[in-house]
Parts: sequence; structure tokens; C-alpha cells
Amino acid sequence: MSQARDAVTAPSPLKQWWLKWRFHLNILLLLIPLGFMPKYFADAKMFRGESGLGANPIENIAVGPWSISLSELLAEAPRQDGPAGYFKAFNASLCSSCGSEVKAAYLRIGKPRSLRAAGTIFFGNPHRMSTSLPVPARTRADAELWITLEGWDGSLHQASVPLAKASPATLAWLNKQGGKP
Amino acid sequence: MIFKAGRLVLPLLLLACAGPALAHNPMCQCEPVDGERIKCTGGFSDGSGAPGVTLDVIGYDETVLVPGKLGDDSTLTFKRPDGEFYVLFDAGPGHVVEIDHADIGEP
Repeated sequence: MSQARDAVTAPSPLKQWWLKWRFHLNILLLLIPLGFMPKYFADAKMFRGESGLGANPIENIAVGPWSISLSELLAEAPRQDGPAGYFKAFNASLCSSCGSEVKAAYLRIGKPRSLRAAGTIFFGNPHRMSTSLPVPARTRADAELWITLEGWDGSLHQASVPLAKASPATLAWLNKQGGKP
Repeated sequence: MIFKAGRLVLPLLLLACAGPALAHNPMCQCEPVDGERIKCTGGFSDGSGAPGVTLDVIGYDETVLVPGKLGDDSTLTFKRPDGEFYVLFDAGPGHVVEIDHADIGEP
């Protein structure tokens, strides 16, 4: 039996380097999450309302005696919710004095036919209400967003803003749909 | 070793199964079943049905032509009214779906 066979063969320099330094991969566990931190904090700030209502805010839209500020939650195209179609999240804030006078706020693409069909309802506190607006793929590029406010006294007031102004990303998405039926 | 790999994979699988919180938006589809009748099916995007939910057929002049409620199978079949109308699936204020007669089509 030769000496050479009993001796432990020395690993290659590359392997030695790997065995010595591989534990430093742990640093990646810290560095990778750090890369996502700015987006995480920006999102947290946005959802807490510290960075305003959302993207592309339209301030103080006059609706009868009241006013409302409207903003899309994120500057992005509508998201699909299964077979129910595409939806776009909007936030709104009632004027500070009218929060106690307004019973309900609705949002719809196109002028509502009636109060029953006034569109999707806003929920949440009057300073930061949210809703999910259905966006049909065949919506015209010049469509208007109609806001309907219903007062506790039974009065109804409406106003409209161009969809293109409230959500340029939705307009871009509609144009990309290319006139689907 | 297999057990160890399993311990690693299981949490990852559980994480993959955790979907985002789903809203349940109302949805409604109407289709002609023969020359005269229309069948509407209502439900919610989380997969639940809508038995007993109001579904009205309303004329363009806002008169209710067919007041109805969805049956146990979340459907309602009614005779196609003359003239222009729309179907309103009404699951409560702000939870409605409108379907115009022009979108229902012919059989």
C-alpha cells in the first residue's frame, strides 16, 4: 500500500475557495430584501394615505353643493377579476364639511340611467373611500367618469370628469385593446 | 435527507398557495335561449352563486318590465320584451351589473 493512496487528496483551489467563502452567501439574505425596501415603504406610505389619495389626483370636483377629490389607487391598467371582467381601483375624499351630509358616493363610466344603476359604491371613511370600478374593454377613449353623490336629505348631485384625465393608464390600456367588441 | 428537503419545500408550497385577498365583484351574463326567451345567470367573481338576488328587466323609460329574482340555480329565464331595455342584476346599492339589450344578441 503506497503512501499516496492513504493521503487525503487536497481539494482544488477553486473548491477550497468555495468551502471557505460559501457562508458569505448569507449576506444575500439581507441584501436581496433590502433591494425591495424602497417599494415596500412607498406602498406602505400610500396605503396609509401619507402620500395622498393615490396617482393622478383630481382635486375638489364640484358635485352640487359638495366637492370630492378623486384619484386612481395605482397608475396602472385595469386588473382582471376572473370572469367578472376588468376592474380599476379608485380612491376618493369628500370635502371636510360634507362628510356628514353625504350618504353614499357612486362611480360609473358613462352617465347613470338611475340611482339604482349609479355604478359602484365607495366604501370606507369619508376622507379616504375606495371602490373598484368595472371597466368594459369596449369603453370609448373619450368616456367620462360620472360621480353621483346621494345626500341624507335624499338629494342627488352628479358631476363628471374625463376618464383620460383620471386614469391615463386605463386610456392607454383601452387603446391597446384595439376596438374589441 | 428526504425529510430535510421536505421541511424546506413545505413552507414554500404553503407560501405559493397563499393567494391575494379576493374581492367578490358582482357578475351577470345573459344569453338568448330561443327566439323569444333570455336566460340570465348571476353570481360573484369569487365563484359564489346569487340565488334570490333581484334581477329586473327595465325599459329605457325606467319602467320595470320584468321584476324578478334569481332562482336556486342563480338563473332567471324571461320572455324578451319588445323595444329597448336593459337587465339590472341588483345585489344591493353599488353592487349592480347592467346588461344592455344590444349586448344580449340574437339566438
